[in-house]
Amino acid sequence: MIEVSDLTKDYGTVVAVQGVSFSVGKGEIVGFLGPNGAGKSTTLRVLAGFLGATSGRVRIAGHDIAEAPLAARRSLGYMPESAPLYPEMRVGEYLTFRARLKEVPRGKRISAVGGAMERAGLTHMEGTVIAHLSKGYRQRVALADALVSNPPLLILDEPTAGLDPNQIREVRALVKDLGSDRTVLLSTHILSEVEATCERALVIDRGRLVAEGTIEELRTRQKSSALSLRVRDPKSAAEVAIGGIAGVSVISAAADEAAPERRALRLSFAAALDTETVTEAVVQALTSAGIGIHALVPEKASLEQVFSELTRHEAEAAKPETP
Amino acid sequence: MNGFLAIYRREVLSLWVTPLAWVLLTVFLLLQGAIFYSIITHFTSMTEVSVDTGPLQAYFGQESIFLLMTLLLVCPALTMRVFAEERRSGTIETLLTAPVTAGSVVLGKYAALLTTYALIWAPTLLYVVILRKTGVVDWGVVGSSYLGLLGIGAAYLSVGTLMSAMTKSQLVALLLTIFVEFGLFILGVGEYIFDPGVFRDICAHVSMMGQMEDFSKGILDLRRVVFDGSLTALGLFVTTRVVDSWRWG
Repeated sequence: MIEVSDLTKDYGTVVAVQGVSFSVGKGEIVGFLGPNGAGKSTTLRVLAGFLGATSGRVRIAGHDIAEAPLAARRSLGYMPESAPLYPEMRVGEYLTFRARLKEVPRGKRISAVGGAMERAGLTHMEGTVIAHLSKGYRQRVALADALVSNPPLLILDEPTAGLDPNQIREVRALVKDLGSDRTVLLSTHILSEVEATCERALVIDRGRLVAEGTIEELRTRQKSSALSLRVRDPKSAAEVAIGGIAGVSVISAAADEAAPERRALRLSFAAALDTETVTEAVVQALTSAGIGIHALVPEKASLEQVFSELTRHEAEAAKPETP
Repeated sequence: MNGFLAIYRREVLSLWVTPLAWVLLTVFLLLQGAIFYSIITHFTSMTEVSVDTGPLQAYFGQESIFLLMTLLLVCPALTMRVFAEERRSGTIETLLTAPVTAGSVVLGKYAALLTTYALIWAPTLLYVVILRKTGVVDWGVVGSSYLGLLGIGAAYLSVGTLMSAMTKSQLVALLLTIFVEFGLFILGVGEYIFDPGVFRDICAHVSMMGQMEDFSKGILDLRRVVFDGSLTALGLFVTTRVVDSWRWG
């Protein structure tokens, strides 16, 4: 649905996006993730046809946005950041205008506008002047606008920015619902949003794509560097046993109040060590000390950790290049 | 074409549902009324009137400086928001990501401005009706006079549209437009200042007052029409290029 190859966009001397390539397949919900100022909005604006790329190619639904801009724009619905709208218009008027602009045929316009309002939960607001709407409703009007021509691709720039928790939940549910029959690319700097709605994520930082994959893949990208254990250890000998393994240390140990011989342990180990080898050595050391292992879980890095790891690395790598 | 019509309709609607057009209409009609009233009083106090002059010719022609001064106020105020506001509020992003060309965006907005301009002038037809009650009205003169006003308005609105596309601030757009249009107007005054020569001819050619004087006598000078038309086309063409250039900003 979207094919981006080697996209670069600069604003004079400032390079906002540099050599980004990715593709989004039909029916996917993809999150576009990055800290503020990473180039998310710029990339989405290029995809939506608002900005021209400095170099690189972008194809939307098979149409090159430089060669067939109208055909490309016809096949997408775009919701810009902060949902700009005409304050003097009524909701119904605005959506009818947008439907007309997006070439929805005259006979289908009323049902298209009605359908978009229904999906965005706006039906009872049809006659309200946009200036009088709350932030949440404005966001919904912008979303209904993106939907009104029933495009196969939706590009949403921070669809939940500035909403309250209830509204965020509603918008996320709506995005998931929309994703069932079309492709959605949404940007956000909130990780839980990607976890909640998307199947796949693209991580961008300082204008470069730093990671790409399903949520699971991204999580396992960062190797676990911690183990959490539950053991039966009546003599509290675990610390000594584990202390014998090079590079492994006990971060915390807590005894179960009801059954003092049961303990919960958290171990950390040097990043250079391999998780599998460490686990094996730990099990061996504990069993030979006569300690029973009830549970052993390699701690998965949260997406937050992966994200900060990825974006920090990139920031450090980028440093020597800038004078 | 679809895009053009949609934008045209939205622009006309948003001009008339906000106070701007109504305020301009009121101010404009008050000023025109005052000008017309003083011209009529002047003529009623005259004992002898020559054949080729009358209240209409004076209003549209010899005294057209008053009328043009009000246009220098009304036209820039009408055009100042047309692009500046879209860029300031960010709605330009939704507009330009719809499947429309820059050309239909510019033409749609311009056509809406020209329609509003014509609507603001429409009530002045009553003056003609009033004169008709007391005397003879030369309908040819009425037609050519309004044509002249339409030409001047078309050029002024085109310049204003361009200026509005150059900035995100309505105020800056307003000032730039007044500056350019007042400059054009002053250039026309040069006809009465400079010695005969090329420069004076140029001034006479671009003079809005000269245009109204000709048209109010029923003289449809093609050179005037071509000048207005070229200025309009140039303004709209450059505006389209400016809108296209935002993609590369």
